[in-house]
Amino acid sequence: MGVTVTIDPELCIGSGDCVRLAPDAFELREDLGVSVPRPAAATSDVDLLVRAAIGCPTQAIRVVGPDGELLHAGNTT
Amino acid sequence: MTLLSSFAATLELTRYKEIRAALFHPDLSRTFDTRTYEDGNIRDGVVSIQHGAVHRARRRVENTQFRPDHLRLYERELFPAVMNDLLDRLLVGPEVDLFSIGEVLACVLASRRAGLDIREDDLDELAVIAEFVDVFSQGAAILDAKDPDAVRALVYAAYERFERDYVGPARERRQALLDAHARGEIGPEALTHDILTALLAHRADAALELADERRIVREVATYLQGGTHTTGQTICNAVDLLFEAAAERPDLLERVASDRSIAQRAVHETLRLRPTTPKIRRRAVAEVTIAGRTIPPDSLVVLDVTAGNRDPELFGARPDAFDPDRSVAPDVPRWGLSFGAGPHICPGRTVGGGLPAPDGDPDDEHLYGLVALFLQEVIRRGVEPLPGRGERDTRTERFNRWAHFWVRVGSPRAAASAR
Repeated sequence: MGVTVTIDPELCIGSGDCVRLAPDAFELREDLGVSVPRPAAATSDVDLLVRAAIGCPTQAIRVVGPDGELLHAGNTT
Repeated sequence: MTLLSSFAATLELTRYKEIRAALFHPDLSRTFDTRTYEDGNIRDGVVSIQHGAVHRARRRVENTQFRPDHLRLYERELFPAVMNDLLDRLLVGPEVDLFSIGEVLACVLASRRAGLDIREDDLDELAVIAEFVDVFSQGAAILDAKDPDAVRALVYAAYERFERDYVGPARERRQALLDAHARGEIGPEALTHDILTALLAHRADAALELADERRIVREVATYLQGGTHTTGQTICNAVDLLFEAAAERPDLLERVASDRSIAQRAVHETLRLRPTTPKIRRRAVAEVTIAGRTIPPDSLVVLDVTAGNRDPELFGARPDAFDPDRSVAPDVPRWGLSFGAGPHICPGRTVGGGLPAPDGDPDDEHLYGLVALFLQEVIRRGVEPLPGRGERDTRTERFNRWAHFWVRVGSPRAAASAR
């Protein structure tokens, strides 16, 4: 069972950092100016997803594990 | 006179992780209040000092101008042509001011990105743009200005000329194109691709708060200044630090000349050691707990980026040394916090600094950043700093700003076939 990846469209500023880091998991919607998760995000490399979440400028990405735990809680290093 | 006073409390952070956490904190705002630099605010409403939803809406629109595909076009085609043409014309004579060359070069590209229609081969016009940049840079750094009232007067006067001579005509042309596109008379490929066009195309969106024409003028000025000043300063700082280090490691000059990855790392080390904004300020808009301390609303938080960028926990045992071969963890940017972090991270960081340098050889998609290309080219052309001939900008408390940086041009270095 994979992870659940979401992006809050109200927080996202479309920096594209997540897309550069994990292009299989994220894509830019230029018409909206935001990133969105791709279907393949659920089975993407979890380390990359967590790095994308940690590096997201507005902390708009949430990566939740199979048991419902946030995989990058409180981590902004 | 200081513009920063009467806060509920002041907290200064010096550790990398604490500063980074502060930059991400949603209750630490770049928006100050009427007691500080918004009193007669010369930057009213610009993206740099917006906070929250308005800031995010503006960034969504403006970030579209910094996509990698577009930046590759700049880095691989436009910039080398402009750079070589200008260096052929300007890097002549026994002594030249590298700072002014860097600014002029950056002006060409920043003008395009901001959305100004200038005669790019006209050195007199580029000098006018560079003069605007100088004034807007003083405005951007007004919290560190020695005479903030004089800076305000300068910036207000410059805005009027800037709108009359540049933004006004550029806006008229772009609006006509947008209108024609809306009527179906031209396709999207005929539209200009720049910040001004993006703002005009979206200005009806109330979330952007762009109804006031003067806000658009200030926003364009912000991107012109931001895209120019750091380049001019960083190229001088890079040459300064590189030659200082080369006294002990003479191979560095040849390596920078022959290997663009080393040139990029040299630029990143330069940015780390000499950040454009040595101290970042934030205002607490609510009670905030940060670095183990709880501060009341309306506190001032000072983020000492210079100290954070030399945090040995992140940058090793010799954090003060200029070392392009420095080893850092994969998630730590080699430039430290010099482009900021969090919502206000510099939108142009990839233009100037490129994409984060990998440990191994970069792939074909890699971007080195315009400053690395510029540094490599001036080193190849034999530029050497004239000892003691750098002149600091004495109008500001910022320690790392040059007013002039005099160099001479010696023998070319490295083979033309070097990558």
